[in-house]
Amino acid sequence: MTNIDNYRTLVLAFVVAIGLVFASGCDSEDPGDDAGESELITRVTLTLTPSGGGTALTAVASDPDGDGANLTIDNLTLAAGTTYNGTIQLLDGINNEDITAEVEQESDAHQFWYTAEGGIASRVSVAITDTDENSLPVGLEFTVTVSAGAAATGTLNVVLSHYDNVVKNGTTRSDESDIDIDFPVTIAP
Amino acid sequence: MDRVSAVRVAIRGITLWLDMSPTSRLLLLRVVFALVATATSFSTVRSQTLWGVTRSTDGTSLPGVNVFIPGLQRGAVSDSDGRYEISHLEPGTYRVQFSFVGFRTQIREVTVGEADVKVDARLEEDPIWTDEVLVETKKTDALTLDSRSVSVLESRRLDEVRGQTLGETLEHLPGLATLQTGPSISKPIVRGLHSQRVLVLNAGVAQEGQQWGGEHAPEIDPFAPVRIEVVKGVAGVEYGAGAIGGVIRLEPLELPDDPSRPFSGTFAGNAFSNNYQGAASLYLQHASSRLPGVSWRVQGSLRRAGDARAPDYAITNSAFEEQNAAVTLGYRKAGLDLMGHVSHFGTELGIFSGAHIGNRDDLLRAIERGEPLVTPDFSFDIDAPKQRISHELATLRGTYSFDSGAKLTTQYGFQYNHRQEFDAHRPYNDSLAALNRPAFELTLASHSIESTFHHRPVGNLLGVVGISGMAQTNRNGRTGFLIPNFRAFTGGIFARETWLRNEVQLDVGTRLDYRWVRAWPRENGASGDFVRRVNSYVNVSGVVGGLWHFSDSWSIGGNLGSSWRPPSVNELYNYGVHHGTAQFEIGDPDLSSERSTGIDATLRHSGTSTRLEASVYATYFDGFIYLFPDPEPRVTIRGTFPTFFYAQSDARLTGFDASAEVDLSRLFTTGVVVSVVRGDNLETNEPLVQMPADRLRLVGHVNIPSFGIARDPHFEAEWVLTARQTRYPANADYADPPAGYRLLNLSIAADLQAGNTPIHLHASVQNALNVTYRDYLSRFRYFVDDPGRSFVLRMSVPIGAS
Repeated sequence: MTNIDNYRTLVLAFVVAIGLVFASGCDSEDPGDDAGESELITRVTLTLTPSGGGTALTAVASDPDGDGANLTIDNLTLAAGTTYNGTIQLLDGINNEDITAEVEQESDAHQFWYTAEGGIASRVSVAITDTDENSLPVGLEFTVTVSAGAAATGTLNVVLSHYDNVVKNGTTRSDESDIDIDFPVTIAP
Repeated sequence: MDRVSAVRVAIRGITLWLDMSPTSRLLLLRVVFALVATATSFSTVRSQTLWGVTRSTDGTSLPGVNVFIPGLQRGAVSDSDGRYEISHLEPGTYRVQFSFVGFRTQIREVTVGEADVKVDARLEEDPIWTDEVLVETKKTDALTLDSRSVSVLESRRLDEVRGQTLGETLEHLPGLATLQTGPSISKPIVRGLHSQRVLVLNAGVAQEGQQWGGEHAPEIDPFAPVRIEVVKGVAGVEYGAGAIGGVIRLEPLELPDDPSRPFSGTFAGNAFSNNYQGAASLYLQHASSRLPGVSWRVQGSLRRAGDARAPDYAITNSAFEEQNAAVTLGYRKAGLDLMGHVSHFGTELGIFSGAHIGNRDDLLRAIERGEPLVTPDFSFDIDAPKQRISHELATLRGTYSFDSGAKLTTQYGFQYNHRQEFDAHRPYNDSLAALNRPAFELTLASHSIESTFHHRPVGNLLGVVGISGMAQTNRNGRTGFLIPNFRAFTGGIFARETWLRNEVQLDVGTRLDYRWVRAWPRENGASGDFVRRVNSYVNVSGVVGGLWHFSDSWSIGGNLGSSWRPPSVNELYNYGVHHGTAQFEIGDPDLSSERSTGIDATLRHSGTSTRLEASVYATYFDGFIYLFPDPEPRVTIRGTFPTFFYAQSDARLTGFDASAEVDLSRLFTTGVVVSVVRGDNLETNEPLVQMPADRLRLVGHVNIPSFGIARDPHFEAEWVLTARQTRYPANADYADPPAGYRLLNLSIAADLQAGNTPIHLHASVQNALNVTYRDYLSRFRYFVDDPGRSFVLRMSVPIGAS
């Protein structure tokens, strides 16, 4: 091959390669169907039924996008001197999955923590009534006891700890909180 | 500057002059006069040819000898009769280097005058030879390398740090540091900048991986037989938009070209006691005798490690494994040089599980506690959270050297990067969990092409013009919001000229780049339809530099450069929580390009017993893109997250880095490496976050006389002092920077002559005092200590070296 031939070959190779580069850029790139599939809890519902009978209270924390942009949290109005039987439901609204049943199935890797804070801290106590296979508390079921007295306001903090690598011992929170919400609470005298 | 050596140089100059015969003095004066005359005359000078014959000491001609003029970056290879020729040389004095595998490299000073010059070289055989460029060449190379600050890691030095990640390999160089995400992930920081601001050039192709995350390390085989060169500072003209902070070049070693030699190669293995890392690598290469001009190399490496251990506990789930392979094929005929290179990088690495946290309160509790919640025993298991990454590279390069001295190079590269990240949280739904799918999956395919033309030397001008293009497609496998699908095209043209006259070199270069990006983010961050967003950017880069090789052993270089970087896709569209730091990060689709303008100066010295490279620099950023903390945290059902917006501000980076070595005697050498960098946000008047702390490295090196079968044994002690970072912005971090720390590393090495094969052994202990520390640039410093003491044994055996 002469030099000129070599040179031509190189130029030709360059042109072909440029063609390849741009030919590869022709199809459209809408995201695949499987995009946006990760699980996310978007709705938490507390249901409190007075133990002496009466209408159940519900309070919902809803975050339809999961990013906090449209987060709404209902206010809970509790009656002084009342004990409630409580349950909690979790929903993944994006994938339309009921997470409650799945937490129940993996109850040895989950625990709820309910903490009354602010002006209701000394007035409201929460006791978990259900246990997992190791007899440790879970928190899908609980009782809320409100002492008698004057009106008060505060928050009920609800945390779901996930125990992935850490062993659940019933007394320590993990570093992985699946939910962490403050429900505003008013006590009506 | 070392005053003693300067005086020494001066005295040597005077004695040389006095020792000269009157005729030599006259000749020297004439040469000087001629040089001055040529330097000042405008008339065109006829160029000359340097030629000669290369022979071995017994007088037989040696074909295939590499004859190279480092100052001109030009060379030739001797033909079958040992004859070589380098044409179009301007009058002047040049250092010419003759090198050939198995022979000692010779450097000759050649003065080219009014006629062709004949220089014959007789090369001495070297009893222990390596395939690499030998040490002697370093001196001239080092002084005339670049007008910028450049650090080179030669293969000998590289062998002594083999088996660690690219970041750890480079952190000993002045001006470099590493950004660690646990023991398994590290990425290099060049003068305070990293990720998209530092370009990694692998076999001539810009590495295109998911570089936007601090936990995304460059996909590089730590055993690849390469030469590593780090260009510090603005390097946008040759390497394109993005090379705003520096370039790390990994260039495969030359393929063998002598078919009469048998297979050659190296087997290397190493073992680390801290994480029980075992690693092995093998490469073999050969120049075919049946197919003239064809040569090849195959290489593979394996690494496997368990959990790293801090002095007090194991760092759970920091195990990793890695498999790499590469094939290089070359063809040379007359002026044509073709190279094909294919490589595979594959790794699966665990991420310290204690760093996977839910929200801000979880993080604060972890910091408060000061140690991991659980520290199970050592294990080799890799559990979620983990990353699985593969990177494929195929490249084809053709170079044609014209007789006139011009050179045309065209290179095509294809890369396919596949990254899967597995969340510690598996889906609640059993059937989904059973699929064991990653929470996050990205594939990035990139085609790139570049063509450069080095024109023939015109007068004293050497230069190159080039054109390059890239097409890139990113596809998101699962979650849609952290980084969207996108497609990008990039194109650029550049020109760079170097004017060389004797000891002075001037560079000027400019480049124009265009980038077009079409991305499909969700309309409202995490929700809404996927929408089409198109951005395009066009801008120029430029550089002016000079180098003055003002004495035999000293040179000074300076550079003024300006370069730019378009905002990357994550900076534009990122929307979501970064686990591990519990930060909610929000991109800004309206970001504009950032521009850096930098000035730096580098003083180099390479004397008989002293070596120095010292640089100072200042870089100004217009529109520096960074994460700005939003005072309002983001409240979600999962808890509270501190929120950061991508924002732009004017910023300044200034600093100083230097390395110096003094041979106190034939046996003792001491050295020091200093790296200091200051980063400031000029709008908020606060320091920039995550800047490397000041670092000082003191080295003592002892050459022990050879004994028995041990050749060139040497001992080295290294004392690395890292200060506490005292400059950091308020309210942008959860914990103050950790205390400074001091690490002692010791090593001993020797070549053991077993029969004809020299086995290189290197034994060392890192963090010899088992110091407990946390580095400011470790992203897991909130949770866990850095690794403790490790005994390391490295061995390499040349193959076919008889």
